[in-house]
Amino acid sequence: MSFARVALGVALKDLRIELGGRYAAGTVLPFACTQLVAFGLSLGPGRSLLEETAPALLWIAVLFAAVLAFRGAYEAEGDDGALEGLLLAPVDKAAVFAGKAAAVMAQLVPLACVLALLTELLFGVGPHGGLPALLATVALGTAGLAAVGSLFGVLTEAAKAREAVFPLLVLPLTTPVLLAAIRATALIQAGSQAEAANWLGLLAAFDVVFLAAGAALFGHLIED
Amino acid sequence: MPCFIEQAVSLRRISRAFGPVPAVSRVSLEVARGEVVLLRGPNGAGKSTLLRIVATALSPTSGSGRVLGFDLLDGREEIRRRIELIGHRTRLYEDLTAIQNLRFAALLYGADPALAAAALEEVGLGSAARERVRGFSQGMRQRVALARAHLRSPELLLLDEPYAGLDRDAGELVDAMVTAARTEGRTVLLVTHDASRAGLASRVVVMRAGHLHGATPAAETAAVRA
Repeated sequence: MSFARVALGVALKDLRIELGGRYAAGTVLPFACTQLVAFGLSLGPGRSLLEETAPALLWIAVLFAAVLAFRGAYEAEGDDGALEGLLLAPVDKAAVFAGKAAAVMAQLVPLACVLALLTELLFGVGPHGGLPALLATVALGTAGLAAVGSLFGVLTEAAKAREAVFPLLVLPLTTPVLLAAIRATALIQAGSQAEAANWLGLLAAFDVVFLAAGAALFGHLIED
Repeated sequence: MPCFIEQAVSLRRISRAFGPVPAVSRVSLEVARGEVVLLRGPNGAGKSTLLRIVATALSPTSGSGRVLGFDLLDGREEIRRRIELIGHRTRLYEDLTAIQNLRFAALLYGADPALAAAALEEVGLGSAARERVRGFSQGMRQRVALARAHLRSPELLLLDEPYAGLDRDAGELVDAMVTAARTEGRTVLLVTHDASRAGLASRVVVMRAGHLHGATPAAETAAVRA
């Protein structure tokens, strides 16, 4: 069984479950939008403050939404022992990890785009001609978040207090991704795309590290 | 590499503990290829744990073993290619339909996804193939799990209380599956409290408090039932 076929199958399965339950549309998106609006209102009408904080607000909203999406991705595996089915399947477990990360990313990219649009509408800060660079930031940032969340989601699935354990494990590890994504977004919105390229390179490096670690460790984490 | 042996399962002093609690203690068991072994015992005797160790879902705390000629630890992937475990939990995705669940299982096990519809027909769920599993009763879920086993012909069939939640017709489906496996020379390890199913087995093994307490040959089993 080829790596790509298994990864695609797992990703499509997770997306079908997501579409069937509409967790992202029903929970994650309203939550993230409410958070952005609440931040905007609490910071007041000062334009420079909003401009300075908008990239961080955008990515914190994406991160919180991502945490909910990660948990959704593994709740289905815990419903009726389905995770054991993945364990006992004679397939490359790295392909299962890749499929789960791809499905989370496929949910986060449109969500981040909607939130970026909302940030522009609420705070008046946009990509200023750097739309491709902003899209690259969204793609690389969500890939890093998806890799960390997919790896540790499986670890916390077995934990008794997973609601408490998951953020404790995941949030510190997402910090480098988050900081790089915020800096890149801020520089793109300020029109400094050359400088943003350095942060995009760093984001890509984080992605490679987290995806490689996930592919190498996932199989060991789901084994007894 | 597999050995040229006749044993489907060969366990040597296998133990498994969950924290300080021993579930299986120094169990040695030989199951020949083509044999149907029924494992009986009271709740908490360690039967399911033993079955999950054979399925490589759990690792033994100590001891060693081979399944279909492959080492329990080093040959896990090879063992998994050749077995099917039907356990207490059906391993189904509730937000997928029955046929989507089977097609996904076919993908994972390298079976033909086109067989999914026929497998559901075989367990009497053809008309519910496109319904989400979330709305299924326990018996219907168990039937979908049985249909999953119909997607391929595993060399070793591990059945853990497969009759739980099933009506009489579905129970007969399990009986037919065991009988077909036996006829085709495949091996079955069956855990059940249902004493009336002893006739399906060539041997009955009793387990209590984590230990095996003797094996009864087929002839004696039949005599006991008589």
